[in-house]
Amino acid sequence: MGFIIRAATLEDCKDISRMILELAEYEKVSDQVKITQRDLEQDGFSKNPFFHGIIAEVPEDLKSKEGHTKVGYALYFYTYSSWKGRAVYMEDLYVMPEFRGKGIGKALMSKVSQLGLAAGCTQLNFTVLDWNKSSLDFYLKQGCWDVTSDLGYHCMRCEGVALEHLAQGDL
Amino acid sequence: MANFILRKAEPQDVPDILRLIKELAKYEDMEDQVKLTEKDLLEDGFGNHPFYHCVVADVPAEHQKVEGYSVIGFAMYYFTYDPWIGKLLYLEDFYVMTEYRGFGIGSEILKTLSDTAVKNRCSSMHFIVAESNKASIDFYKRRGASDLSLQEGWRLFRIDKENLLKLSAEE
Repeated sequence: MGFIIRAATLEDCKDISRMILELAEYEKVSDQVKITQRDLEQDGFSKNPFFHGIIAEVPEDLKSKEGHTKVGYALYFYTYSSWKGRAVYMEDLYVMPEFRGKGIGKALMSKVSQLGLAAGCTQLNFTVLDWNKSSLDFYLKQGCWDVTSDLGYHCMRCEGVALEHLAQGDL
Repeated sequence: MANFILRKAEPQDVPDILRLIKELAKYEDMEDQVKLTEKDLLEDGFGNHPFYHCVVADVPAEHQKVEGYSVIGFAMYYFTYDPWIGKLLYLEDFYVMTEYRGFGIGSEILKTLSDTAVKNRCSSMHFIVAESNKASIDFYKRRGASDLSLQEGWRLFRIDKENLLKLSAEE
């Protein structure tokens, strides 16, 4: 197989941070990444973590051109559907380009599914950018369906100044 | 009608929360999709590791328009994580009974939630809306929300239990 899938630890945050930036670059928005390695350590590995991580690791002799053995990751957390109950949300799924095509992405996603099912979840949710055709194809092949397309649900956000005005009761 | 209070939901509110979840689902023509039971809501919201939080709007007896109901609105939310910007507040459900609209209850609920988001150092509040629900989309846009599906091309994807089991069984 040539790789292992395991739970992320505090020590993995340096590589997770590196790969988060790589994924943001791939999505053409790396200037939007504000979270640091230290934030990840605090937010993911304290008493009440806000997310959980899974790492894909290769042995030393298969390391990347730049010497990395941690070559993929997935970040997930538990959410709740008011119709169906417990759900798991996969926030990030990434495999370094030189390690693609070996089943690592699928193995990461399979692990998130296993953990979600073990926690009593009945669905796995995530978002994909509409131009990301290779990812869209990959997910549709795993049996996912497009909720935005089929049910017309749009993802909305209220942030920054708008959020603060809302908190103060301004209209 | 001036009098209503917003408060944190308690275990005895569970039957009302489920009633309002079903009313909201009916409004979206999805009533048959609600599989959640009172037992699920109790275990998942009021145990050691809650999957969700809830605020409810309560009216005093003399203002009750609908026989026997004092809980006439609610919002269900939980905390999520964006590895680029950190903690977020996710609004799962938000509903006020039709007889009680137009009195500012919805606005007050949203204000409370935004305040919770800001106090918990969340940089953003996220939620989904059906594109056919023009009244709700206008309500949110008036308060500064942006449509990520339209503006940035994000599509929500889902895998349901049957395919989740298949995916988790793959090596």
